[in-house]
Amino acid sequence: MIHFERFKLENGLTVLFHKEASTPMAVVNLLYDVGARDESEEKTGFAHLFEHLMFGGSVNIPDFDGPLQAAGGESNAFTSNDITNYYDVLPAHNLDTALWLESDRMLSLAFTDKSLEVQRNVVIEEFKQRYLNQPYGDVWLELRPLAYTKHPYKWATIGKEIKHIEDAKMSDVKAFFKKHYHPSNCILCIIGNFELDYVKERVHHFFGSIPKAKKSARILPLEPAQDRFKSKTLVRNVPADAFYYAFKMPERKHPGYYFADLLSDIMGREKVSKMYVDLIKKQKLVSEINAYITGSMDEGLFIITGKLNEGKSFAELDKEIWKILAHYKTTLISKKELEQIKIKLRTARAFQDQGLLNRAMNLSFFELLGDANGINEEQEIYQSIHAEDLRTFANHLFAKKNGILLKVKKKKNA
Amino acid sequence: MLNRQVAPKLTPIKSIDFSVPEMYEIHAGIPLYWKNNIANETSKLELHFHAGTTIETPILASLTAGLLISGTKNKSAIQIQHALDAVGAYYDVSVSQEQAVVTLYALNSYLKQAFDIFHEAMTSAIFPEKEVQEICNERQEKLKVQLQKVNVLAQRKIQQVLFEETPYAQVISQGDYATVKRTKLIDFHQKHYLNGLAKVFLVGDLSSEEMHAIKAACADFAGKEYQPSACSFTGKTHIVHEEKTDALQSAIRIGKIMFNKTHPDFIAFSVMNTILGDYFGSRLMSNIREDKGYTYGIGSYMMENTHFGYFMIATEVAKEVREATIQEVKNELERLQTELVPEEELELVKSYLLGQLLKAADGPYAMLDLFSGVELHDMDMSFYNKYIKKIQEIKAEEIREMVCKHLDWKSLSIISVG
Repeated sequence: MIHFERFKLENGLTVLFHKEASTPMAVVNLLYDVGARDESEEKTGFAHLFEHLMFGGSVNIPDFDGPLQAAGGESNAFTSNDITNYYDVLPAHNLDTALWLESDRMLSLAFTDKSLEVQRNVVIEEFKQRYLNQPYGDVWLELRPLAYTKHPYKWATIGKEIKHIEDAKMSDVKAFFKKHYHPSNCILCIIGNFELDYVKERVHHFFGSIPKAKKSARILPLEPAQDRFKSKTLVRNVPADAFYYAFKMPERKHPGYYFADLLSDIMGREKVSKMYVDLIKKQKLVSEINAYITGSMDEGLFIITGKLNEGKSFAELDKEIWKILAHYKTTLISKKELEQIKIKLRTARAFQDQGLLNRAMNLSFFELLGDANGINEEQEIYQSIHAEDLRTFANHLFAKKNGILLKVKKKKNA
Repeated sequence: MLNRQVAPKLTPIKSIDFSVPEMYEIHAGIPLYWKNNIANETSKLELHFHAGTTIETPILASLTAGLLISGTKNKSAIQIQHALDAVGAYYDVSVSQEQAVVTLYALNSYLKQAFDIFHEAMTSAIFPEKEVQEICNERQEKLKVQLQKVNVLAQRKIQQVLFEETPYAQVISQGDYATVKRTKLIDFHQKHYLNGLAKVFLVGDLSSEEMHAIKAACADFAGKEYQPSACSFTGKTHIVHEEKTDALQSAIRIGKIMFNKTHPDFIAFSVMNTILGDYFGSRLMSNIREDKGYTYGIGSYMMENTHFGYFMIATEVAKEVREATIQEVKNELERLQTELVPEEELELVKSYLLGQLLKAADGPYAMLDLFSGVELHDMDMSFYNKYIKKIQEIKAEEIREMVCKHLDWKSLSIISVG
């Protein structure tokens, strides 16, 4: 059980506080309710580029990292299609430094041309390093637009193309900040050996005077229901043919999300899953295979991915994949297997909760979902899932017309 | 009224409390370290074996590690995995140059059971031919992917040149898989796992009986005492560029053989290394990423083995700025050799390092990792108190001296691929 307190400032900032008496460190986590899905289709990659700019100095403080490092701390951030999350970890007695820095960049950025120019280049190099200069690196740049036709999940967090990043202008940056970076669009979570009154007082001190702005309504294009199986083949300079089956799955708040998550754990289990045993061990069709979910806020993807062995065909694989999916549609997962997966989940969760930063991020994320206490209820949801639930769910999930297939074919003489 | 331009007052870290785990002897020279009184129900067991890539060949070390629980006379790999899953345990095996580490993670009430499953699987492993073939296929496919990456190619190359003519230079190549025989794996396992235990680390609230039972069973892996032998390196420097036509970026590695914690310059050198390239505000990051925008990231690192260490600068940059980047690295080293680090920067790095050490000592898992870092060199936790004291006292002159003494540009090998 993770105990926490919640309070709200008049300007709309939501604050969570979790007391952890055993640590000399403090974690300050700020989740901004903005991600790549909030970008316009002509200016993608912006939420992530913006995350880089948040480290380029704020209105009253020329450098973000320096003062935090001088306080013995460090900081980082990540952007997803749904959220942008910033965190600082520092010795608890220097908590003020993190609050001072974070409140100033929530107030306003420095918006220097130099920072924009440099971070554009840095992000372009990140684009190359992670998405273009790796075998299979561009898969998600291709899979997203295949899976989504209208919803902004059709582009990756890094952006649709490098050009969008090159074209980013200071006026865009300022408008983005104004719209998304203000107290009511943020959840602040603090962990450390503090008293609630102290935390309240310090948060008021630093964040209280930031002006209130209205949280803008999120109206995203609705993804039309998929009515047919879609597939695409890429030819790339890769060492082996790879496949990415994707199935549209329910949004984060839907109960079906938990079914999908558990089912992906079962199907993707290393060494013992049906896919592993049938396709790797028995038939020697693939060299690796895995299943996972994208875990997104809106309608997400259930992914089955792997690589073909030399000399095996996509057609052979396709037949076998559908056999396996048919198995999960018709056959109940054994009680034993379900118990195994549930106890594994318990272990994984206990290890996750060990980390302060993990706790802070999870509390913030559940608050965004509606209630931070969700962090304490999630295990119960998983533990209460029955084999029948999963079978019923598999029948919806693995309907042929709900599927997408991206094949990455090895270029000849590569 | 809040004046946002004034930074809050900082409280410096004066001292940190370090604690040592309880020690038990499994066998002569083979310790079990135990950290208990954990605030939660997690637990972890680490078995360190003298079974790294240098003891024989990397291919044998890597495949044996991958097949530790691949089947016994009575149980298949799948059955063993099911048994581990039934107690909710996770495990991983990592192989470094000198050691292989088997780590088991479980809730504390299940750790002993998980260990028993592992112990039985390992002590009666038969290395079924089918499993050997499967892992060879899987690893070979993975290696093909790895060998397309410029960072991997550069890393392998620098390892080959820095450690040339020693076992540390060996890397796995595609052809190695064809040479693998089941009997060689059995032999490797017999010598370096069943008789190769170096030490055990245990974290978790187990009962004393459970701990003692684990300790007793670990004796089955004990052999004679072993220390990697010291080797001498050629010290030759190499400057190599490998062209990869389809690459969008070049990977750069700049490095040399260096010392480890046992050397009197180690702490001063680490402070210098932090300034140079080991934190977000470092000289290399500030210049090459934050000023020039050449890269997503650049860093410098110190790695340690039993008898030596090595120093490495690593980055991936836009192909057209490869030469410019190497020149900037050279400039940064020269600046550190000729100019004193400004007081403010040095103070910042000192506070940063102390804060990071406080974090590195936070909680039983972190504390045991710190302990493991000194135990490898037969040192004790007093090293960290020395570290704190040295950080507090070090002057800019000594930072300059470290760069002059140890990082002469001509002594560095430079590899680039892309």
